[in-house]
Amino acid sequence: MTEDDKIPANDRRNFLKGMMLGSAALTGAASGLFSKLDLAAGDIGISQVRADTPERIKMAFVQYQPHSVSSAWGKGIGEVLATQQIVDYQQLDGQSKLEVQVSLMDTLVSQGVQVIFVQPVDSVGIAPSIQKAKRAGINVITLNIDSTEPHAAHVEMNHYYGAMDIAKTMGDKMGGKGKVAIINAPPGIIIRDQRTNGFKDGLKKYHPDIQVIADQEAGWDRKKAQDVFTTIYAANPDLAGVYGVNDDMALGAVDVAKEKSLLGKLVIFGNDGETAALESIEAGELTGTQYTDGLQQGRLAAAVATVLATGGVTPDGFGQQGHLLMPYIIATKENVSQILPYQRW
Amino acid sequence: MSIRPATIALVVFFALAMAVFGVFAPRFASPSNMEDLMGGFSFIAILAMGEAFPILTRGIDLSVGAIVALVGMVIFDMSLIFHVPGYIIVPSALAVGALAGAVNGALIVFVRLQPFIATLATLATYRGIVYAISGRQLVEGLTTTPIKDRWITGLETYFDIGRMLGIGKAVHLPAVPLSFLLMLGVFILLQAVLLLTKFGRSVLTLGGNAEAARLAGLNTGWITIVSYAISGTCAGLAGLLLVAKLTTSTESIGFGMELSAIAAAVIGGVSLAGGVGSMFGPALGAFLLGAILLGLTLLQVSQYLQQIVTGAILLAAVGYDRLLLLRRLRRRATSG
Repeated sequence: MTEDDKIPANDRRNFLKGMMLGSAALTGAASGLFSKLDLAAGDIGISQVRADTPERIKMAFVQYQPHSVSSAWGKGIGEVLATQQIVDYQQLDGQSKLEVQVSLMDTLVSQGVQVIFVQPVDSVGIAPSIQKAKRAGINVITLNIDSTEPHAAHVEMNHYYGAMDIAKTMGDKMGGKGKVAIINAPPGIIIRDQRTNGFKDGLKKYHPDIQVIADQEAGWDRKKAQDVFTTIYAANPDLAGVYGVNDDMALGAVDVAKEKSLLGKLVIFGNDGETAALESIEAGELTGTQYTDGLQQGRLAAAVATVLATGGVTPDGFGQQGHLLMPYIIATKENVSQILPYQRW
Repeated sequence: MSIRPATIALVVFFALAMAVFGVFAPRFASPSNMEDLMGGFSFIAILAMGEAFPILTRGIDLSVGAIVALVGMVIFDMSLIFHVPGYIIVPSALAVGALAGAVNGALIVFVRLQPFIATLATLATYRGIVYAISGRQLVEGLTTTPIKDRWITGLETYFDIGRMLGIGKAVHLPAVPLSFLLMLGVFILLQAVLLLTKFGRSVLTLGGNAEAARLAGLNTGWITIVSYAISGTCAGLAGLLLVAKLTTSTESIGFGMELSAIAAAVIGGVSLAGGVGSMFGPALGAFLLGAILLGLTLLQVSQYLQQIVTGAILLAAVGYDRLLLLRRLRRRATSG
């Protein structure tokens, strides 16, 4: 049997027709007849009916520094964007440096992305970059740390009211009296103020008899928090409670409490709700934390971004900046089991 | 002064990097990316040229990043707390940089500290001062207040050269940032100092052979102090440009920037053994590092890999410098 015999007469005719059309199209294209020859989409400029192949949308997330919180956001953002099938997404690291973040933002503007997610190192310092992005028609969505320059949307954990609730629960656990210490973040970041002021205002409102006797900075860091807490405890052996403005620092205090067998005597609270903190609560070490679903926060930001980008909404298309506060729970031993494995980050 | 092989190698490598990224990295060759390169790395180039002076004297200045932060915070406080007008802030910022640099030099000359130790100590000290004088912590509300003084924010200006020449419609040229022009000014000034003045020649002599310089009657202490003061002044200017770009300053800006400056200087052919180098090399070295950073980001190469690439280039540059030094020594040995 020859090759020709395999092709029935009808198919052969179609094949020949196809060859003719194909070569005609090629000749036409070569002579500039069809100005919109698109080989990828199979469009040779004649047929108007074709599957819509929208241009791919680029989005990027510039994080503050590598941390469980930002990686949960990144994961949540990635999940939603991957489902859209038309979005290219990349995550970049600001290396805790304002000047690195600014340089990355500039590069993304040159690259022609449609949406930038950013957790700014500094609210004012990032403002000129957001301005530049807006001029280039790029929507900017900030996570947790807002900018002084208005932009598309700000999606944040409920720092202030969450911290008030921490104060309430913590005070209840302490029986409404005693001395507490705050292990704090370095100054100059809005969320430090929100998480500290919320806590202090919460104590004033719900437990006015509880005294804040120390407020020291430990750079968001577990190891540093161990040292800071050791010093605070040495000076105040009658301490009854500790509030770390993030989980890492609260866990640093837990480390020290474990070593000095103080676990039953101290009420220790963190903030964020990362897996390590939830596990510590389950183990009966950390008393509690404000839990926010970081993955969900990323997903919500990505949802906003997708709606803006596919809807062709420009940065100047808004009256003013949108603002979304994340729901949260104060997780303690009593309710931590409600947080399901897929909600943990 | 003849053109050294290290300089030729650098120019070739720079051209190669630009060509490769221009072809392969999407939008690398776009006007907007060229603006980013000029606007984002001119202050590193200025730092690197300043850093070259201590290295030329066979020293090193590890404190430049901390001086950037110190100057940044001085500008912040003067403008936002004391509302001092910008035309006074600008010279004051440069003076603070020069003073901080001169202190480095004085520690090396009068206390006889190793440059590495002296500037490591001042790195910590200057950072400490930054925290102590930080207006962000002293006055509530300043963390969210941008600096609006025209004298300072005006430093972050872009000139549309294409439109100025009347060819803006025909070709889309990148706008040139003022910081790039200032960088060129610093380059011309410092290169002239190095080549045409007695001080410049003394720096090279001191770095090449400190003992010979002393025997020749050069005031080595004075030369050292002025060299570190130049480095400090350049850091002051870099701080000014950075604050102008960010419209604020933080306690942590400039962190680790001394490493970029030293890397750019060494890649630019300034020998760590002292006495050999120009201003052209460090400036181009800074833009080479910048081009690599931008190119790899546009190619979506992981940032961690970028750091490895930068490290490898630095290693190659130091190795090449070492090779040239050995060859110089061998030639001296055979001719002597």
